[in-house]
Amino acid sequence: MKINQTQKGDIERFELEGELDFHTSPELREKLQDAVQKQIKKVVIVLRKVSYIDSSGLATFVEMLQKMKRYGGKLVLSDLEPAVRSVFEIAKLDKVFALANSEGDAAQLLA
Amino acid sequence: MEKKFELDSNSQQLKHFREELRPLLKQTGLDDKASGEVLLALQEALTNIVRHSYGSEGGKIQVDFSEDAGEVRFSIRDFGHKFDLTQVPDPVLPRDKPGGLGIFLIKQLMDRVTYDGSCNPGNLLHLIKLKSSKPV
Repeated sequence: MKINQTQKGDIERFELEGELDFHTSPELREKLQDAVQKQIKKVVIVLRKVSYIDSSGLATFVEMLQKMKRYGGKLVLSDLEPAVRSVFEIAKLDKVFALANSEGDAAQLLA
Repeated sequence: MEKKFELDSNSQQLKHFREELRPLLKQTGLDDKASGEVLLALQEALTNIVRHSYGSEGGKIQVDFSEDAGEVRFSIRDFGHKFDLTQVPDPVLPRDKPGGLGIFLIKQLMDRVTYDGSCNPGNLLHLIKLKSSKPV
């Protein structure tokens, strides 16, 4: 799993590449924890290059969302591949997360 | 078509196993979506063994794959602690806490999930996907 972290204005952007599973989730969790500790208010996670997610990956995002909500932060997941979006939908997490079709949409959701 | 696999119970092996299974599932005639569902369900079952049946102790996992015109079958055998995942109640969705979705996904993604607790030690789980099943 490649994690490319950049800042764009007041938005912290994480672009992930690879497969998010029980093995790779801890690394992502650690990176996201840093953003939570710094209480970063606006985070977008770009999943364009993520072809696979399992329940460990979902749990990592749920944990991040919960923690960000506590300090008034906003999290948007962007550019989900159909296979990945489908897993969110089965778990009904598409009703919990802000899912954006593009980074432009994500920026609007975070405005 | 039939094939047997033996894996070590560790998280790193899961990705390698996925890569090994993808071409095999393609040969069964399942479409990409259904193959992805089988792959995810199987991985969730294996993750469950790594985390709960064996934990830090480690151990072997045997996976038997077979298919015919009607269905794709996986039997997963481990030798760890007893755990009947079919008895775990479904979570209330959407979950507002991390975790607790793996077993739910297995049940949703496969057409039949049966547990055989008669083997000792360990567990035997059967996962079946019908080739005619509608997408989840």
